[in-house]
Amino acid sequence: MKKQWWIARNTMLALALIFTNALQAAGYAFNETVPDVRLPASFSGGSACPVPSRQTTASGSIAVRWSTSLSTNPVTILTQDQTPDGRLAEIEKVIQQSFAVWTGVAGTTLKPSSLAPLTRVSAATSCGADGMNSICFDQPDMAFTPGVLAFTRIVTADHAGEQLINGAAAAGPGQILDADVFFNPGDSNVMFSTPAILAANPKSYDLESILTHELGHFLGFSHSAIWSAMMYPFAPAPGTISGVRPTVQAPDAPLADDDRTGLRVLYSDPTDATYVGSIEGRIVPANSLSLPANPPGVTGLFGAHVVAVDAASGAVVAGVLGGWSCTSPGPAQFDGSYAIQALPIGHSYQVYAEALNGAVDPTQVSNALTTLCRNPTTDAGWPPLQSCVVPSANTGFTLRVRPAP
Amino acid sequence: MSDRLRRKLVWTLLQMGLLMLLVATANATTLVRLSFDDLARQATAIARARCLASASLWRNGEIWTETEFAVLEVSKGTAPGILRISLPGGRMDHLQSHVEGVPAFRAGEEVYLFLWNARGRDNYVLGWTQGTFRIMHDPRTGLERVTQDSAATPAFDPATREFRHGGVRNVPLPVFQLKLKRALEKANR
Repeated sequence: MKKQWWIARNTMLALALIFTNALQAAGYAFNETVPDVRLPASFSGGSACPVPSRQTTASGSIAVRWSTSLSTNPVTILTQDQTPDGRLAEIEKVIQQSFAVWTGVAGTTLKPSSLAPLTRVSAATSCGADGMNSICFDQPDMAFTPGVLAFTRIVTADHAGEQLINGAAAAGPGQILDADVFFNPGDSNVMFSTPAILAANPKSYDLESILTHELGHFLGFSHSAIWSAMMYPFAPAPGTISGVRPTVQAPDAPLADDDRTGLRVLYSDPTDATYVGSIEGRIVPANSLSLPANPPGVTGLFGAHVVAVDAASGAVVAGVLGGWSCTSPGPAQFDGSYAIQALPIGHSYQVYAEALNGAVDPTQVSNALTTLCRNPTTDAGWPPLQSCVVPSANTGFTLRVRPAP
Repeated sequence: MSDRLRRKLVWTLLQMGLLMLLVATANATTLVRLSFDDLARQATAIARARCLASASLWRNGEIWTETEFAVLEVSKGTAPGILRISLPGGRMDHLQSHVEGVPAFRAGEEVYLFLWNARGRDNYVLGWTQGTFRIMHDPRTGLERVTQDSAATPAFDPATREFRHGGVRNVPLPVFQLKLKRALEKANR
């Protein structure tokens, strides 16, 4: 694996070095949950290290229902088949296809068999935090404004045994108890088309692309900052699609390598022998005085975007937002660590990195970077030794490559 | 530095800031791209506000976060002295509700909020992270700068292998205010 050394310089001319293969780190843009260590270790696991949110993947364990209540004023879902039954069948096919994109990724424990058969429900308001995963096209009053196409809300537990109304109890912290996908039902300027009718409605959005992105959140993903990734925050322009359409031979074709790599990290398959490579390191300033004094204990750059590119093909394999690590019993340490994991072995990679230049606060960055800490201020009675405060993302650093030694 | 040179430097910085704003786009979770002009035109109100407090609660079977702001200045429409914003997501007891792309606010911070209030419902932030512009105090220069939430993270372009920064990002407050004024003038034509 090719090592890349980087030198960073902030506006105060303080130097920063990115060391590869130095320390273990946790990363990737997943939603994170800090277990509640105030509870007995049998419930919390005893560690305040953030854990990524994820579904369980045993056979038939992911049950999903979708609401057949569709917005009629305005009509927001366009289908080729205009008969009532035909419309529902066409939309249901899109839902199944969108799930198949994710379950089609090799080297993960998320399999087509992980999904229970898709079911229907007629009520419009099926997407509540009730322990049942749902997809809703006409749910009212969900803070939609112009410009908001769709979103996914996931509810996670911070300890084992937590339960929502109709769902099973969490086996451990970070488990997703309920994931619901909401589409904007009331914006007369927004329409979604199934693949069969998209070309005839170039001002509408591709239902399959939007839903596939949302199902990434459903599975625990946060956003990716790689332009070509399915989890990139922008929706494709009206009349266009994300990536390419899936095929029988390549069911995951719409995804980018960054999405596939993330899924392999989140749902790692212990039997897989191909995607076991990793690039790990730290980004630290040459001048430690350039680090923030508050909160105390920050020893590396926080919030840098690190990207691995296959040196031979030029393909962007993965990117992470780095800057922290955690060793049980926690808490998270803001030491500049990053880790790009689940990389195919036998390849050489170039690593690109960029600090979050500009006035950036953690609240502006992905959820993945804002839910890493709990402390007595956020949670009464939280043990001080397992407390931390998320620092501001480092700003003003610029980076240039130094040739490998 | 002479006054003339200082004025020239300020003017150059203003021009650079305006150039950045001209290429502004916005991003957030599964959102339609809204330009700055779109945001200014579609907002029912625009206010500079200071976050007072946030609290999560159950409402209609969902966890919501309600944030209270003290309104400092209103640039468009009307806004009450104390503004309450509702957004989905938050934490209640042992449950954490995540919605990627929803802005979160901390007590004490100042923001420009582009608001959306339809049919007398609660106040929402237009386009969520797209309609949230945070005012940060630069300790090095003492200047206030504005960054749009949706523009905070640099994106990597696989084609050029470069990081790109879009949206309103790290812009001096006077430049932002000038841009807002012009966008509102355009919206009123």
